[in-house]
Amino acid sequence: MAGDMQARIPSPPTSDLSGFGQLKATSLGKPRFARSEARALAARSLAPIPGLAPLLACLALLLAWDVAARLVAIDSLPSPWSVLNELPKLLSDREVLLNILDSLRRMATGFALAVLFSIPLGLSMGRSRLVAASCNPLMMVIYPVPKAALMPIIMLWLGVGEAAKILVIFLGVSLPVIYHSYQGARAVEEKMLWSAAAMGMEARTRLMRVVLPAALPEIMVGARTGLVLALITMVTSEMIARQSGIGNVLFNALDMAQYQPVYAAIVVIGMIGLLLDVAFEKLRGKLVSWAEPAFPIIAGST
Amino acid sequence: MAACIEIEQLSRSFDTAKRGTHLALSEISMAVEEGQFVAIVGPSGCGKSTLLYVVGGFVAPTTGRVRVVGKEVDGPGPDRGPVFQEFALFPWKTVLGNVSYGLIQRGVARREALARARALIELVHLDGYENFYPKELSGGMKQRVAIARTLAYGPRILLMDEPFGALDALTRTRLQNELLEIWERDRKTVMFVTHSVDEAVFLSDRVFVMSRSPGRIKCVIEIALPRPRRRTELLVNRRYQDYVVSIEREMDDPAEDIATHGG
Repeated sequence: MAGDMQARIPSPPTSDLSGFGQLKATSLGKPRFARSEARALAARSLAPIPGLAPLLACLALLLAWDVAARLVAIDSLPSPWSVLNELPKLLSDREVLLNILDSLRRMATGFALAVLFSIPLGLSMGRSRLVAASCNPLMMVIYPVPKAALMPIIMLWLGVGEAAKILVIFLGVSLPVIYHSYQGARAVEEKMLWSAAAMGMEARTRLMRVVLPAALPEIMVGARTGLVLALITMVTSEMIARQSGIGNVLFNALDMAQYQPVYAAIVVIGMIGLLLDVAFEKLRGKLVSWAEPAFPIIAGST
Repeated sequence: MAACIEIEQLSRSFDTAKRGTHLALSEISMAVEEGQFVAIVGPSGCGKSTLLYVVGGFVAPTTGRVRVVGKEVDGPGPDRGPVFQEFALFPWKTVLGNVSYGLIQRGVARREALARARALIELVHLDGYENFYPKELSGGMKQRVAIARTLAYGPRILLMDEPFGALDALTRTRLQNELLEIWERDRKTVMFVTHSVDEAVFLSDRVFVMSRSPGRIKCVIEIALPRPRRRTELLVNRRYQDYVVSIEREMDDPAEDIATHGG
């Protein structure tokens, strides 16, 4: 459909690299085979250079930033090139690296504790009406509360140290993991559990050996959300209780109006997020490849 | 021969939100002898699957009881192996993993379990597919895995819940023939639920015909056809045809439709 439309509308000339090979192929007057050919063409032109598309997108963002920085011309919006220049300086500073390590350590601790706590709870909620009925209302109250907003109270209980920050990260990660574990456990096919029961498997064993693996794809969705939330709550908690960490580096620089390091720290946080997500997706692919569709599905293909 | 499955005055009702209590099974009594292949046919909603689930111990009876080899059923157990229309395979396990799972679960040593699983995979003609995941298999292959998985832990009774209902006609015929071949080897007791009359007549020694609302056993028909049976031979057999026609007449009672939809 879309291809036919585009054939009638005069299309601007495009290069193969742009991924719009479709337009070109149809305008060449081969409407019948145009779509599959175009797809092959687009795939071929981008395939040899992996990561080219996101790289171009990053470049576009930097250019837009550059233009904006030149237009507003204020100290608090430095040019992207000066920020990129700042990056090696920031990353070779031993103090900064130790701060980043502190951040990663508390983030990993909070995330791990949350996952260990949330998966069994969510699965039990999904398989037991009693557990679900008692936990659900509580969850619905806690879910929309920004966890960082609890930070001042938590600091009153636990002080400004590690425990308070880890608790906030724990709270931030827990809810999506509980929620997705719950949904995943609820969706487990009854007859799969019956089959396991007929093998002589007790209810508690079924929870670990059947419900957990069957719900794993859904749990991983929750854990991925949790990972991003761990990063966010980590930075926020370090902003509120400033002692160490990348959030501490960022806000100290901000206080001193050193804008290049501020932006460089933001870039570092973004890159940590990106790397963690890529690593997580790799792990997810390994763990739940059995749940991916057997054949690649081409979305929107007719 | 001693009765392998005894069902006495079994009723099962469900509470529905809209229409109050629904009586799915009403005072069912029946017995299945050891080594018999029995089919239960009936219109959809007659409770034939529920009956099977009660025997399996997956659903508790409201009143009455089920005894298997003299012992009252109070939950699922490896003496009764279910095979479902939905296959219900473990999607995170390979064919080999699925088939050996019950054995490993029951404490059989891994090496021994895998060897027995391989033999069963060969029995259901899936050799070469040991390391495939369920998502990579067709419906017929999935059901073969499910049958092998259940046979693996050596149940005394097979409980088959419309096992071939989701398959195309050709695959269905093929699996019916294969099921009979497997059954001829050790003659396990089989309770086979289906809505297909010719499938019921082809496979079984006795056919229980059920009516619905509430689910009751309407009649029992002995199928005195010689074994081993081949479908292509039976289709032209006059007695086979008579069985099919008489059972279909039993099921095609217009008074029952009025009773169900009018009331």
